[in-house]
Amino acid sequence: MRRTWVLILCVALSIVVAAPAAIPVRAAAPTDLVFWGGWTGPDGDVMRGLVDQFNKEHPEFKVTLTTLQWTPLFDKFLTSVRAGQVPDLLAMHPQDIAQFSTLGLLEPVGEMVQHAGFKGSDFMDVAWKGTFYQGTQYAIPIDMHMHGVYVNLDLWAQAGLDSNRLPTTGTEFVAATKRLTVDAAGRHPDDAGFDPKAIKQYGLAMPNNHHGFYMWYALISQQGDPFLTADGSRAIFSDAKSNAAWQWLQDLVFKDHVVPVGETNPYQDFVTKRTAMLIDGPWQIAGLEKVPGLRWTTTTFPRVFNAPAAWGSGHLFTIPKQSSRARQEAAMTLAAWLVRHSQQWALSGNVPALLSVRSSAFFRGLKGRRGFVAEQPYEVILPDIKNSAQVFSAAAPSAIVVSAQAVLIKGDQVSRVTQDLRARLNAMLATP
Amino acid sequence: MSILPALASRRAGVRGSAATPYLFLLPYLVVFVLFRFGPVVGGFLTSLTSWSIVGTPRFVGLANYRALASDPLFYTALKNTCYFLVLTAPALVLGGFLLALLLNRPLWGRGAARVLIFAPYAMMSAVVGILWNWILDSNFGLLNFYLARLHLGPIPWLSSEAAAMPAIALTTVWWTVGYNMVIFLAGLQEIPHELQEAARIDGAGAWQVLWSITVPLLRPTTFVVVMLTIINTFQVFDQVYVMTGGGPGTATLTLVQYLYFQAFETFRLGYGSAIAYVTFAILLALSWLHRFLPSEVAA
Repeated sequence: MRRTWVLILCVALSIVVAAPAAIPVRAAAPTDLVFWGGWTGPDGDVMRGLVDQFNKEHPEFKVTLTTLQWTPLFDKFLTSVRAGQVPDLLAMHPQDIAQFSTLGLLEPVGEMVQHAGFKGSDFMDVAWKGTFYQGTQYAIPIDMHMHGVYVNLDLWAQAGLDSNRLPTTGTEFVAATKRLTVDAAGRHPDDAGFDPKAIKQYGLAMPNNHHGFYMWYALISQQGDPFLTADGSRAIFSDAKSNAAWQWLQDLVFKDHVVPVGETNPYQDFVTKRTAMLIDGPWQIAGLEKVPGLRWTTTTFPRVFNAPAAWGSGHLFTIPKQSSRARQEAAMTLAAWLVRHSQQWALSGNVPALLSVRSSAFFRGLKGRRGFVAEQPYEVILPDIKNSAQVFSAAAPSAIVVSAQAVLIKGDQVSRVTQDLRARLNAMLATP
Repeated sequence: MSILPALASRRAGVRGSAATPYLFLLPYLVVFVLFRFGPVVGGFLTSLTSWSIVGTPRFVGLANYRALASDPLFYTALKNTCYFLVLTAPALVLGGFLLALLLNRPLWGRGAARVLIFAPYAMMSAVVGILWNWILDSNFGLLNFYLARLHLGPIPWLSSEAAAMPAIALTTVWWTVGYNMVIFLAGLQEIPHELQEAARIDGAGAWQVLWSITVPLLRPTTFVVVMLTIINTFQVFDQVYVMTGGGPGTATLTLVQYLYFQAFETFRLGYGSAIAYVTFAILLALSWLHRFLPSEVAA
């Protein structure tokens, strides 16, 4: 009996001694981080994969990514500021920074970016400059995206064109689009008897929304013309150069008949081989890679005038103002990790802003980026002005969309469009 | 002996303060004030300010209304909304009435037809917009495929200034005519059969029964349908937002679309609220039209 009691005592003692090792120590709860971005296509899936990887590698954080289209995303941001529940990390574009920093919603992050181990020379110059407004840094850049030209290699070969000689100048570009445009009788736009009402295949698909304005913006930049005054208070582009830019674009549709009139979905037209080329951004790459049997490549946006220039923008990470500095620093940890892992982000089609990633063998081995990378030195981004949401709105009644559609859909006289655009821009820019 | 005096005497015996009815109403009133009346007043006060949701609103008096009076885009939106009203309202009211007349008859497959016509109304507006975007696409749309076979197309439905609004109107009629049909059906079934039978016995033909019995007795229903159609049509937004975004140019820019653009695309909440109140005033004026209708119609 006594032995039994001793045995029980020993077992009890051993349990007490072993307990701290056997019972797992309760880990501290991970910090929840809220991350918002406007990636609603295949790029959203790539970013979601990156966030999952971050969560696995950083058990101390739990990041939730919310994606919405950019306009509703910014609406949600403003209302969330009102409700006192801002996201910890918010993606946007260079031209959005001025608006939100003027409203006092963004935290200056220069010091945090420096602590994260980054400096300006690590990034493409245009991407780094896009994170500043009036000398203060509000963001860290992850990528750049710009207009380029997608080419269907099968249709290109069928037209008897050499795939080693893709067009780079405006003249070469128009010649190729004419060669690729075919009517029901197999004639091209410059052939006698060509019927523009019976076109079976068009040479080019291009956007006629706000991206139509972006193309005009690139073309006036090619002529060396400034768009706005340095302080963004007035439009100063010249009538003649603006008219020349609009006219070149309009001729593709109404004179050369190489672009369908009133296209509603240029990307689908390119995928379904209704058109042989497409002017668009690298965000279409992830989708195009999934289209079976479509052989394509990219070339630069055509140099129509004196100097090369293509519209570009980029994605960058901002940290909204909030009371917790610790959360802001945690958000910068996430942003810095994403920037360092932008090699995977390049799978979305966007071109990494970090030079070390851009020059990596992995990125250089990715298909179809050649055209976009080649024009990066000539990229022109929209100016940062405090009412950019109003001036550069992508919605239909905005001045830039109305102008582009007047030229590319209605075929209005370009001189009238130039005057209307200038008048509406100046009215908006004069609004306090 | 009538039961009413007995009820009255019992009611008189119930003790209760004067506040009792208000206490019963209180739960609804709280919800009404918080979510209806409050925002209505708040919206009007916002229309008197310059405000971008964040920061402090700046009182500007009637400046937003004055700016609206000289804003050409506002008049474009108003004109487009009226055009949309003209395109859709007659088709929705007349179409709903004719479909109800047809499907009120003892036809084979009547139940299935009622469901099929009403079914689109149960679809989400975004789904309807995307569906019709594909049907109407200028290059690979279903409608243009058949029009091309008949040598009638292709027509750039959504990217031509002339065709975009009629295309949205067509979509809207397909989507919502079933709702009006159901209201008319309910109205038709309220008309006593005896009246129509008596008319027929007196020698009235089908047209006479329709014009002299059915249409007059449907007037209260017709009034409701007309008013609801005008109000809903004037507030058109979803299908425009999904299908054209207000374009091409400003061809399909409607009042609510313009309100959304100002308030939520360019963050001018005060100006957007002013557009909302002018739209509200126009609708209120239209709703008061019934005061000038014959008394039996307004009843």
